[in-house]
Amino acid sequence: MRFRLNPLTVQKIRRFRSIRRGYWSFWIFCLLILFSLAAELLVNDRAILVHYEGRFYWPTYGDPLPGRTFGLDYDYETDYRHLRRHLAAGRGAGWVLMPPVPYGPYSTDLRTDAFPPFAPSWSERHYLGTDTVGRDVLARLVYGFRIAIFFSLGLLAANYAIGVSIGCAMGYFGGRFDLFFQRVIEIWANMPFLYVVIIVSSIVVPSFALLIAIMAFFGWIGITWTMRTVTYKERTRDYVLAAQVLGASHGRIILRHILPNTVAVIVTYAPFSVASGIVALTSLDYLGFGLPPPTPSWGELLQQGWAYMSAWWIVAAVVGAMVVTLVTVTFIGEAVREAFDPKRYTVYE
Amino acid sequence: MTSALLQVSDLKMHFPLRGGVLFRPVATVRAVDGVNLTVEAGQTLGLVGESGCGKTTVGRCVVRLYRPTAGRVRVDGQDLAVVRGGRLKQIRRDLQMIFQDPFESLNARHTVGEILREPFRIHRIGGPGQQAAAVERLLERVGLDPGAQNRFPHEFSGGQRQRIGIARAVALNPRLIVCDEPVSALDVSIQSQILNLLLDLQREMGLAYLFITHDLAVVKHVSDRIAVMYLGKIVETADADRLYQAPLHPYTVALISAIPVPDPARRKGRPLLGGDVPSPIDPPAGCRFHPRCPLAVDRCRREEPVLQAMDGAEPDHRVACHRAGQMRLPPDG
Ligand SMILES: Nc1ncnc2c1ncn2[C@@H]1O[C@H](COP(=O)(O)OP(=O)(O)O)[C@@H](O)[C@H]1O
Ligand SMILES: [Mg+2]
Repeated sequence: MRFRLNPLTVQKIRRFRSIRRGYWSFWIFCLLILFSLAAELLVNDRAILVHYEGRFYWPTYGDPLPGRTFGLDYDYETDYRHLRRHLAAGRGAGWVLMPPVPYGPYSTDLRTDAFPPFAPSWSERHYLGTDTVGRDVLARLVYGFRIAIFFSLGLLAANYAIGVSIGCAMGYFGGRFDLFFQRVIEIWANMPFLYVVIIVSSIVVPSFALLIAIMAFFGWIGITWTMRTVTYKERTRDYVLAAQVLGASHGRIILRHILPNTVAVIVTYAPFSVASGIVALTSLDYLGFGLPPPTPSWGELLQQGWAYMSAWWIVAAVVGAMVVTLVTVTFIGEAVREAFDPKRYTVYE
Repeated sequence: MTSALLQVSDLKMHFPLRGGVLFRPVATVRAVDGVNLTVEAGQTLGLVGESGCGKTTVGRCVVRLYRPTAGRVRVDGQDLAVVRGGRLKQIRRDLQMIFQDPFESLNARHTVGEILREPFRIHRIGGPGQQAAAVERLLERVGLDPGAQNRFPHEFSGGQRQRIGIARAVALNPRLIVCDEPVSALDVSIQSQILNLLLDLQREMGLAYLFITHDLAVVKHVSDRIAVMYLGKIVETADADRLYQAPLHPYTVALISAIPVPDPARRKGRPLLGGDVPSPIDPPAGCRFHPRCPLAVDRCRREEPVLQAMDGAEPDHRVACHRAGQMRLPPDG
């Protein structure tokens, strides 16, 4: 059989593309994620390429190269910014190519003559300045973005896995199962989420996975309820009854008929869910209950900036980055919603 | 007793209306309230009545989409309520359904080819090659181009979609098809094409139909027998011709006389049905039709009539009315 994309889907994609700002936001967002994946090549204190005594070195990925490799007198990891000055001064045959931002998220730029935070400086290549312990703000932002975005996507996946399966089962099978989970959700929804997170993170230091687990523990309710409502509606439609009359199994009906027809809801929900994931992680980090330091994090930067208002560049950078990210994601969400369900977008409750 | 293909006895389907925190039933919709029907192999039984009187619910009980509250649905003498698993799947091959709205009954995300291949996939009949050949034969049989396979339902007109729905229903060579208002959503010009297709298929495949409709004009052409339903009950059943010539129940008389006739002059003086069907949540006591019946007397309000043959009338013309036969069709030349 010849595969052909459903013209209705093609139409949705076309409609999405016609909503310019959502479409552009989508590409910008994809680019941001792509850049953040390649962050080690762009924002790093390891050199991209070193030429030393006739040999090439690619230190970016892999084990750290000790200083002796390049004729320096130490065994810990090479300080490439220093090596660059060292070789440039003619004390060795070779050269160093640094990334555009030659600082990593953890490297502190300490000086003998001043205390951080340092203001933005083009010549020092601290394009957005440093934070209060001398770490490059741009580097922290970039790596913090990567963590936040993958945190949100991981959280989304976890919420969807729980929500879609339970919600679908509730709507499809109904009866006692549905009733039971309805009550569970009502109770769950009234649990003080923040308290639980604070309690848990005061007992154990939350890791990336643990934090996703805690958040998903509360986050599955929204999508579950939505899925329940749509499934409940789909289940009584004639095409589902027709499949049932043909003798299709529950699994077949759910997977081949109902789920594909709820894609609009699933997709529409995603961008807003990502946005709320980013906000949630940032606020937890801000409060100090998120990922432990020194993990690069927007929340932690925000907190520093709040404490040192005179170092205005910290607050400005974080707020700017937040605004750009959230606006982009929201535009995408709007466009997706518009494309999948123009005019007749209904709010499920 | 030789068993008919389909035997519905004393079928009741009550839907609980639930409410409140505890989700307790607060009322009962008596959608079907004691229905008896028989369909012989290869024959058509027309089930008529105004919308809301429970026809669809009967149809869905027959194909076991609903589990009846009470009563039996027997296919070849086999009670559907007690079969499950593989045996039920086997029986489903004999029992199919055609739906009213061809825009709703086809999954918009599947191509026509996928839709028509699904019956064979579900029942694991044939390999991919045989299935593809079967799909082409089906399309051809219902009068569609084989190229339709790669297209999606919304690319077709209502009549063409209904043909796809019919092709799906006959794919497994069923013995009984419940047609739930199969032409009601279609243009009048297309209705007769679809009805003729159904009649042709019946002749070729020996199908039996339970033909549900609110339109007496439609059912007249296709039915061997007709059952008239009102508010969850059968009020009259007879051979099709007999029912049109000599209806006994006032409701049947009203329905027949409401069939539009081309000549407006002749429409005068016909007893038209006033009011709406009462709610099946709280049906009227006695005869359910009495609030709308021009002949109603005190007895109709107190005593529920049973479906039975009238003295002196044909034995298989049964009616549930205390004043059966007292209202005549107006003469129409
Ligand atoms: N699933 C259901 N739950 C509650 N009430 C129903 C349900 N299905 C049908 N009904 C009610 O039962 C009655 C008969 O409906 P239906 O069988 O669809 O009638 P018809 O097909 O003759 O128009 C209607 O009053 C309808 O509201
Ligand atoms: Mg109906």
